[in-house]
Amino acid sequence: MAKQGVHAAWSLAAALVCGAAHGDGALAGDDLTVFVPTRIEYESVGGIGEAYYGYDGRIWERWETDFPQAEQNFAKRLTELTAVIASRQPARRKLTHPALGDSPFIFMSDVGYMRLSQAEMTALRTYLENGGFLWVDDFWGDAEWASFERAMAGVLPGRRWRTLPIEHPIFHTVFDIDVMPQIPARDFAYYGTSEPPGVHRFPQGSLSTPSIRAYTDDDGRLMAIATHNTDIADGWERESYGEWYFEEFSTKSYRLGINVVVYALSH
Amino acid sequence: MWFEWLFKYPRHVFAQGEWAFTGDLGTWWWILAAALLAVSIVFARRLARWRLSRRVPLHVLQAAAVAVILVLLAGPALEVQRLAPGVNTVAVLVDTSKSMVLPARAAAGIAAGQPESRIAIAKRLVEEWIAPGVGAPVALFQFSDELQRATATDVLVAAGDRSRLVDALTNLAANYDQGALAAVVALTDGARNGGDGTDLDALGAAGVPIHLVGIGPSAIAGDVELAELTMPRSAPPNTQVTARLVIRAAAREGADVRVRVRDGPSVIAVETIRVGRATPVLAEDIAFPSGAAGLKEITVELEAPAHDPLPGNNTRTRLLDVATAEYHVLYLEGEPRWEFKFIRRAVAEDDEINLATWLRTTPRKTYRQGVADADDLAGGFPDSLEALYGYHLVILGSLPATVLDDEQHEWLESFVAERGGSVLVLAGRNALTDGGWDVKPLARALPVVLQRSADDAPTYAAGDYGAQPTEAGLASALIDIGGDSLDERERSWATLPMLADYQRLGELKAAATTYLQVQGSVRVVGGEQPAVVVRGGSAQPLLVAQPYGFGQTAVLATASTWRWRMRTPPDDVRHSLFWRQLIRHLAGAALPRQRLSVVASDDELAVRVALRNARFEPTAEAAVTARITAPNGESFDTSLPRLAGENAFGKTLAPGAPGIYRVQVSASAAGELRAQDNDFETLARVGAENLEDFAAALNEPLLRRIAEATGGQVWNPDDLAGLADAIAYGGAGVQELERLPLWDAPFLYLLLVLLKCAEWSLRRYWGGI
Repeated sequence: MAKQGVHAAWSLAAALVCGAAHGDGALAGDDLTVFVPTRIEYESVGGIGEAYYGYDGRIWERWETDFPQAEQNFAKRLTELTAVIASRQPARRKLTHPALGDSPFIFMSDVGYMRLSQAEMTALRTYLENGGFLWVDDFWGDAEWASFERAMAGVLPGRRWRTLPIEHPIFHTVFDIDVMPQIPARDFAYYGTSEPPGVHRFPQGSLSTPSIRAYTDDDGRLMAIATHNTDIADGWERESYGEWYFEEFSTKSYRLGINVVVYALSH
Repeated sequence: MWFEWLFKYPRHVFAQGEWAFTGDLGTWWWILAAALLAVSIVFARRLARWRLSRRVPLHVLQAAAVAVILVLLAGPALEVQRLAPGVNTVAVLVDTSKSMVLPARAAAGIAAGQPESRIAIAKRLVEEWIAPGVGAPVALFQFSDELQRATATDVLVAAGDRSRLVDALTNLAANYDQGALAAVVALTDGARNGGDGTDLDALGAAGVPIHLVGIGPSAIAGDVELAELTMPRSAPPNTQVTARLVIRAAAREGADVRVRVRDGPSVIAVETIRVGRATPVLAEDIAFPSGAAGLKEITVELEAPAHDPLPGNNTRTRLLDVATAEYHVLYLEGEPRWEFKFIRRAVAEDDEINLATWLRTTPRKTYRQGVADADDLAGGFPDSLEALYGYHLVILGSLPATVLDDEQHEWLESFVAERGGSVLVLAGRNALTDGGWDVKPLARALPVVLQRSADDAPTYAAGDYGAQPTEAGLASALIDIGGDSLDERERSWATLPMLADYQRLGELKAAATTYLQVQGSVRVVGGEQPAVVVRGGSAQPLLVAQPYGFGQTAVLATASTWRWRMRTPPDDVRHSLFWRQLIRHLAGAALPRQRLSVVASDDELAVRVALRNARFEPTAEAAVTARITAPNGESFDTSLPRLAGENAFGKTLAPGAPGIYRVQVSASAAGELRAQDNDFETLARVGAENLEDFAAALNEPLLRRIAEATGGQVWNPDDLAGLADAIAYGGAGVQELERLPLWDAPFLYLLLVLLKCAEWSLRRYWGGI
């Protein structure tokens, strides 16, 4: 009971903080002629340090990690660098939102403690079967992968995640990427950044190999991708942390992000 | 009958004739008239004591009676034109098609229930009524497929495979040269099933009255007939083909009819249909699998109910070409957007649509999908006219016109006008006027006028719009997204999610057809707080198409049909159906490189081949051979020479036995033809189906239309009593003037008696006698 009360309080606080910045779940102006980055709100299990964490003077829910700055920066760069017209006003939605289909591309972050209700799993399954595209980012190590995999098992039963080789078209849609980038977590972004140690949880298992793992449909089309052992959205969010960070990480994040979005818009 | 007794002559004589007086209107007549006038004056003085209101009716009755007497004394008559004896002929046509051997109703002189064929009745009527009774020599003819002279009724045999009633009558009326033709009498059941003519005006212009004796029942009791069978001429392998059946049933009560569809001897579909008194004509769809590729003879048959009097009309066959079509489609998109993704997704499951896409991902980068090889579309646009002409359909997305150079713009216009391809333009920020296409050659081909507004405001806008089909759309396969009935088709559209954008179109061109329209509001794209423009309630065109040159163009003024996929359940196929149907229809309308036509009749097989090279110019020099395979499997090869004065090759052959013939054509021309265009084939049926078993009941509406168009009449075979007079006074042939006296017509004396009785009754009533 006490845990639920804490949960409700954090949710309210997060809603107040985020709601003022980017609306109440509606797509930006309902203008569906542009690409609208859409962040998915979900529940995470655990208490402080698990479902919630403190950072930069406030308490964050896992789903809102890097939101909305990452999407705002990414939308700006996407419009500058490509022919995609993207909205600078990202949206956030629950999987059960009746208009989820108006966002054929959705993004989830920090999913290591994610849990999905039956209604969310059903909604996500419908969304993916219709052709929607899910990108999951920023979770680390074997334990978080296992937790995420369990949460997703009820969405598309029977489907297995497979690691995409670097030859896959998603690495070459706009930019030719020959190495899967690993964007800061505590292990990498010390020099020249203000990244404090401990922002990310200490995951278990291997952290060294970033990868894209994917769900594909019966025709081999990507339905969902998970960028594991890397935090691509951090590269967008923190592009202003310094020249070294920008050149070392943000450019790689944008290259991969642009490839993924253009891939989703064309496949 | 009463008319003729009262007025002495038939009604049509009065209609044609003019009044005249044959008596001497000399001194005696005037003396008598003066005497009657004097008597009237004296009589009038005797009535002076009466009130005026009573005197007037009596004077009128008296004057009328005097007038009748004077008319009688003047010798009234009718002057009519009638056939001059000895110089006119009446042509009598007897229908000798097979349907005339069917039973007719009991006729005059035939006991009820005793079977008598229609041809027997016709022959008897000619011998007993028409030849001796029409007052002119008779020229006897028979007709079925063609008109032929007959020497006597003995030679009339109902064995013709088809009926061409109107053609036979037109031929006779226009070409008879054996004397003056006073009238035509045709004895027929009215069946016309052999590609008969329909121009009754031409028949009427011949000026010969046609009298038709309708023989046969208006319905054949107990008969169940497959009146029509409609199905596609081609279909992809291993798909469902839908055939539409029209069943005509003259059943007294409800009955189940089993419908079987056969591919050769194999039954491929079975269905049971209920027919009965409540549904004398029933339209039903039946689906069957197309099976493996090949040319097939599909037979649909109704299992004959017990005591079906005409089982021959229960079966029809059609030829079906089961083949994998290839629709080559090029989609040029200037902006990665959801419409692009979901169009590709919609057609991905259609093996017959080869979609090559060229997507501008950045101002300097492109992304190609579905291309044949690494070089294909490497330059963005096909690098030659021949390469562009290899496509059937080009889709233009949100692509600035500046992406193409002037020559490529010219190619695009000639792709439609000369090659006969199709172009579909989608809405977008850089589409149509907003993309600068209004000043490019393709603008001439589009179905709408591309016109900038005075303030050069964008025409593309976000907003909520409901798509709805127009009347033309509902009737067209272009936008068929499911639904058997009109209501279901409308419901399919009405329940689709709203569109999210719209591009304002200019004025429609004269040849444009609108298939879809939208109603809703427009919110102009751009800015943090987009303005809302309310457009009232008027409908705006959404999908418009028109022919242009040899091809056609279409504009779809939205780029948010993807919502029909993302806002519906996964098993909802309407989005996919819409795009597959639209693309197939537009791409399928593109001109093929080769055309093979085979026109088969009973004794001819006319093969004609037209070839075009890679630039779609007619190929005049080619070696073309045809292999003809007869129904028994025997085949022979023949060369097809170039037809004089035409860019085509062909020959007319004489087939043997009736049946299905396979015609395979091989063509070669040095460097001119692509390898895949060299060999093609088709099937042709020589000899018709058993046409005479269909529509075998009396077709009285047709007979009435012919009679009305020519000034004749339709006659019941039981009553031809007035036929001779109708011919005699019909106004055709060589005529002479005849005066028909009316002085002894009963109606004049009855009128006189009535007038005097009326006068007497009034006097009696008023007490003045």
